[in-house]
Amino acid sequence: MTASDPAVTRFVETRQFLDQIKTRVGTVVVGQDVVVERVLIALLTSGHLLLQGVPGLAKTLLVAAVSKTVDLAFARIQFTIDLLPSDIVGSEILDQKTHEFRIHKGPIFTNLLLADEINRAAPKVQSALLEAMQERRVTIGNQNFALPAPFLVIATQNPVEQAGTFELPEAQLDRFMLLHRLGYLDPEDEKEVLRRNTRLGVKREGKGAVARTEFDVLDGQDKGSADQLVRAMEDVQEVHVSETFIEHVIEIVNRTRNHPLLELGCSPRAGISLVKASRARALIHGRDYVVPEDLFALAEDVILHRIRLSYEAVAEGHTSQRVLQEILTEVAQ
Amino acid sequence: MRALIALLLTVALAAQARDQRTASVGMRAFVEQIVIPGTQLEPAPSKFGAPVVVRVVKTWPHGEQLRYDLEWVGFEEGTFNLLDYLVRRDGSTKEGLEPITVEVTSVLPPGDLEPGDLEPKTSERLGGYSTLQVVVAVAWGIGLVLILFVGRRRKPRTAPPETPATLADRLRPLVERVQGGAASDAQKAELERLLVAFWRERLDLGDVKAVDAIVAIKRHEQAGALLRQVEAWLHMPNPPRDVDVQHLLAPYRSVTADRFPPEAG
Repeated sequence: MTASDPAVTRFVETRQFLDQIKTRVGTVVVGQDVVVERVLIALLTSGHLLLQGVPGLAKTLLVAAVSKTVDLAFARIQFTIDLLPSDIVGSEILDQKTHEFRIHKGPIFTNLLLADEINRAAPKVQSALLEAMQERRVTIGNQNFALPAPFLVIATQNPVEQAGTFELPEAQLDRFMLLHRLGYLDPEDEKEVLRRNTRLGVKREGKGAVARTEFDVLDGQDKGSADQLVRAMEDVQEVHVSETFIEHVIEIVNRTRNHPLLELGCSPRAGISLVKASRARALIHGRDYVVPEDLFALAEDVILHRIRLSYEAVAEGHTSQRVLQEILTEVAQ
Repeated sequence: MRALIALLLTVALAAQARDQRTASVGMRAFVEQIVIPGTQLEPAPSKFGAPVVVRVVKTWPHGEQLRYDLEWVGFEEGTFNLLDYLVRRDGSTKEGLEPITVEVTSVLPPGDLEPGDLEPKTSERLGGYSTLQVVVAVAWGIGLVLILFVGRRRKPRTAPPETPATLADRLRPLVERVQGGAASDAQKAELERLLVAFWRERLDLGDVKAVDAIVAIKRHEQAGALLRQVEAWLHMPNPPRDVDVQHLLAPYRSVTADRFPPEAG
């Protein structure tokens, strides 16, 4: 490839587009570069992302910021115990004027859906959402509707407060391509958050004013187009995956299946997700080919929620995280 | 075939049957598996002072006849026909039947109805149990000594466990295969992992997460250059022509475990 090669030009443009998203999101979300990267990976591969972290880590802000930087429709659903499937998918409503039923589409008809605290909803609501995530279609009444493209669900769950929650079963967790665990910010990043917060000021509205929030910062900024996103998604498909890389993936996946401490190893979907996510990461890092670093960087987010420790291993005090790290270390030994 | 099986069964049962035709006064005796022609027999109504009492224990069909298990007890010395104490259930006669003769004997002389006097007898020597205990203990001790010192097979000498191949040992043949152009994709993948492991060990990155270790190795001047070139050779769709695998892997062909001692991070 040469610099005048159209493919190279397009590749450079895609990389610039992705860098712009990261930069724009970085203006409001501090110190969450890895999470931004994971959101982009999910966006580029049409995978779904589950974010696990305590409240107040800017999960909602992050997703809202991404939607604003790429000009995508964004909706947020706060999951609660009394939520119904029709609250998400939509329902048939009797029109008083025409005396006919009309379709009322639910908030799922969007590009970027934030399912906040997904484990608070009843299993039937979770399964309604997860079914839509899988099939990218929903049925209201007798009619079947395709969801907008791109369609991405970013769900969150709080790992600490478990009272009154419904834990997602393994089969449903498997639908999420990535499960990223958010941690607290570094002290330096946290200082920057506080400094930026002091500079937000107020926003005039009519005769009054309200304090500006981080959500207001992105208003009026340049947006990337959906076309650019589609091109980037196409470029991900052009990222080269070598046979050697596939050998690495198979090695890791098989080791999870044969590990004595694991009751449940990786599904074939895990291997597919590893390759898909690695291709997107390679593109974000400016490569048109995947390398083992992509694999090892994403292994925890792709694999950890798909494996389950045996009863004996739990009793002996092992953790999935440590077992996976052992597997990844042993692979390179 | 059925008849043969029935015959065999009959012979087998008859072989086990008791045929006690003699018993002392008051003792139970059995006459089993006896075949008596005609209709079913049952004990005759009991009469006070009867010298023999007969009980029909069990009855089986035996072709057109019946087979009986009889239990009898004699109360007077003498010879008796058990048929005299049985009657046909349908009231028919027992003519033509062969007598079932039994003999009741007495262990006491005739007319002697009182038990004899007890004869004095010396008791057994006390302490038999203690002697038995000593004998058993000695036998047990001898057995233990025999088990411990006599006839015990010597444990065969096992070969010392093989020391796991060092990274260097595993690296060399792979490098030779790759340089010879005979390596499969799986072997190339293993070579790449071993190179990472080799440098991970050398840079003392054992406790670091796998991805962080790779990043650290790539930052290292010598290891980074190697790893990037190996990556380019193995993973790029069109590997650059200036990647000389032969030259790149040459140092690892003769590497030994002690030639590259781990260095501080």
